[in-house]
Amino acid sequence: MTDGTDNNIILDFQNITKRFPGVTALKDVSLQIRRGEIHGLCGENGAGKSTLMKILSGVYPAGTYEGTVLYEGHELRLEKGAIRQATEEGIATVYQELTLIPAMTVGENVYLGKEPVEHGIINWDKMYADTRELLKKYNLDIRPQDVVKFLGVGKMQMTEIAKALSENAQVLILDEPTSALTEAEIDKLMDILHTLRSHGVTCIYITHKLEEFFRIADTITVLRDGAVITSQPTENLTREKLVHYMVGREMTERFPTGHHTPGEVVFEVEDLHAQDPDSSRAVIKGVTFDVRQGEIFGIAGLMGSGRTELVMTIFGEYGKITQGEIRLEGQKLHSRSSHEAMLSGISLVPEDRKRHGLVLMQSVLKNISLANLPQFSNWFSIDDNAELKASLQFANSLSIKAPNLNVPVDSLSGGNQQKVVISKWLMSQPKVLILDDPTRGVDVGAKYEIYKLMNDLAEHGMAIIMISSELEEVLGMSDRVMVMCEGRSNGILDIEEATQEKIMALATNIANGVTA
Amino acid sequence: MTTTTTTAPARPTEPAPTLTTTIWNQLRMNLQTYTLIAALVLIWLYFSYRTDGTYLAPRNFSNLFRQMTITAFLSVGMVLVIVTGNIDLSVGKLAGFVSVVVAYYQANYLTKHFDQDWVVMLLSILIGIGVGLVYGIIQGYIIAYLNVTAFIVTLGSMWLLDGAILLRTAGRTIQANQPLFSEIGQGYQSDNFGWILAGVAVVFLFYTMFRGRQKKRSYNFDLPPLPMDLAKVTGLSALILIYIYRVNNYKGVPNPVLLLAIVVLIMIYISNNTRFGRYAYAIGGNREATKLSGVSIQRNIFLVFVLMGFLCGISGVTMASYVGYGTISAGDGYELDAIAACILGGTSTLGGVGTVFGAIVGAVIMVSLTNGLQMINTPAAYQYILKGIVLVVAVYADVRLSKNR
Repeated sequence: MTDGTDNNIILDFQNITKRFPGVTALKDVSLQIRRGEIHGLCGENGAGKSTLMKILSGVYPAGTYEGTVLYEGHELRLEKGAIRQATEEGIATVYQELTLIPAMTVGENVYLGKEPVEHGIINWDKMYADTRELLKKYNLDIRPQDVVKFLGVGKMQMTEIAKALSENAQVLILDEPTSALTEAEIDKLMDILHTLRSHGVTCIYITHKLEEFFRIADTITVLRDGAVITSQPTENLTREKLVHYMVGREMTERFPTGHHTPGEVVFEVEDLHAQDPDSSRAVIKGVTFDVRQGEIFGIAGLMGSGRTELVMTIFGEYGKITQGEIRLEGQKLHSRSSHEAMLSGISLVPEDRKRHGLVLMQSVLKNISLANLPQFSNWFSIDDNAELKASLQFANSLSIKAPNLNVPVDSLSGGNQQKVVISKWLMSQPKVLILDDPTRGVDVGAKYEIYKLMNDLAEHGMAIIMISSELEEVLGMSDRVMVMCEGRSNGILDIEEATQEKIMALATNIANGVTA
Repeated sequence: MTTTTTTAPARPTEPAPTLTTTIWNQLRMNLQTYTLIAALVLIWLYFSYRTDGTYLAPRNFSNLFRQMTITAFLSVGMVLVIVTGNIDLSVGKLAGFVSVVVAYYQANYLTKHFDQDWVVMLLSILIGIGVGLVYGIIQGYIIAYLNVTAFIVTLGSMWLLDGAILLRTAGRTIQANQPLFSEIGQGYQSDNFGWILAGVAVVFLFYTMFRGRQKKRSYNFDLPPLPMDLAKVTGLSALILIYIYRVNNYKGVPNPVLLLAIVVLIMIYISNNTRFGRYAYAIGGNREATKLSGVSIQRNIFLVFVLMGFLCGISGVTMASYVGYGTISAGDGYELDAIAACILGGTSTLGGVGTVFGAIVGAVIMVSLTNGLQMINTPAAYQYILKGIVLVVAVYADVRLSKNR
């Protein structure tokens, strides 16, 4: 602090560039964060917000990126494998997914790994007394002895914040803190953040809900495609300006042209409501749409908007349907498992390919045929000639690049892995193909091939539902787009009338301001 | 960001690898199997040397394999249980319980009510396998459909079956020595039959090799070099012939070993060539992805435990016949031997990986060690200590080797 730099700047990112194989996640990012402010970080999915924060928290250690981070005037060099180092420096993160131990109390969680010890024995009284003091100081309305798993999400988050503060955090990173909170809990969180600001704690606040920036942030920085677009005091900005900064991008020649001629309606969802099966929280709150033969129906929405939950519910693998119905070719559908959904003619290429799509250690062949073994087997044997022939046919028509079909699927690139998942589901000959973010983590070349394939399938009369995190992709590929926000459909746009601004406005719930 | 994309078919463009590199690659890919076999050969050579050859002399050689059959039946079922990410701690006691029930009914009812030997034998077998099967069904139902962890359910079963054995035997030993029934565990096949078996096996091996190569070629797959395939099959054939030759020098192929060979072949087939087998590996590899592929996790886990129960039945019947009585200590600790054999044979406790063949090699290694240590008069205490060390070292070596791959 004495080396002549601006005392008001606590964090100074200088020319940060971060490359991943095939993508540049951050391009020459320079950004200053003032001491004691709440700094909003804003951008589309994949704009680079999380990457920047991971550099700050040590997930990507020094040396894996270019440029320097100045913290309190000195260069922050976090070593590899020492995420604790960031915490010791006073930089703490409150993660989207909470990192608490459910069976422990608030106090135990807050002091986990730094329990007050006397002669090797934990001084429980001191620990709980310290916790109580900490909670009081920052106005956190929880009790030290409460067991975490019995707390609501809001209070769990408070515990998480208390844990960060107990390490004397100077900078607190909040990544999508409100995504699972109720209105009342959000209000409470806003109060807490005000308290933190009054105690001089700097907060970096990431959210997809734009109105929160205007409630809480002093400064807003917009990132797009890994670059800083603007960084301004909140009072200079409006929601419309923000949306414009977020999406103001040119459409490139990245999408093959398709000639879809949508036919009859094959698939209908009517006023669907569904609950999370574990917590009974409503996740789908009234969604209605239909899909025609030979149509690509896009679903846009930011993360947490309920789009994945919607398709998983349709596929019979997630939500408990409380109201409404799903119809396929006029027949009411009641899938209670993926097996039943498959039999009725629905296929789902899931969002998380490694977790839900593939058995990574197994061969390409076995992965392609896994969902389709009944096609070439009875209970006593598998006709492996038929299996091989069918799998090869799909592998070739999707041009999966692999030395042969016997190599384990985890030796393939992301794009080829995705083609394996798509092959698997095409082999089941669906009437409706649902693709959940099919090009996530896929390189440009493979993306183009997947787009071409989608056009092909649509031309042959398949009904395709595509979820996408990329606005351009939605606009470039779909015939119609449904925009989701907080479990609801905020509107269905024909492709002619859809623009990035309109979609983003609907996705962030500020549509009234734009369309009026 | 424009990338030209080719739609060339999925064929490699690298230069064709030379014979030596292919062999080397093949060796590395199957490193674990070869390491196991090398370890087995070393163990045999060592004990042979220490016992001046009596270790591998016909009599002991024959007994070696006969000794391992009862736990080996359990091992081959255990592989699939572990592959699906489960465990079964009850197999030893279940096999024990089966042997006790078989002895009980044979001694108290069957020999009294039926004159013909073969009826008594048949009914004994049916009762034994039936008991194993029913228990497997109950246990599988609780694990798969009522969602109680396999570890807990089978741990409970262990105690439950221990009690049941105690009840059935009332602490006494029950004879099961009806002559024809005893043949199952104690009898031998004639020399000629042994040679016929060996001949069939060798012809079968060569046939499947050539057929497999033909199939691979017709689909444009990488073919392992012919000399290598030939060496593999010739080696395996030689092992079979040597085995038959050795055991024929004693009394012939022991019946339980023949029975085991048949069960192993069927289990290898099930694990590789049926939907059920495929699903088992897929469930262990990625449960969620398998579920989302429309596979019923519950039904397949259930079937795995039913199959395990069936194999416990076979094991129990063999046990009753082999030892000739049912006793309260029947099957004590066999579950751990069965699990250890799987682990030695390369089955991953995390699920998804493991082979029936590996488990059998693991079982042979275990019995070879135990038998050898007994022959050189190692005190029981040290036998246990060594077994424990061998298991841990073997797994450590495997972890290291697979990392370097």
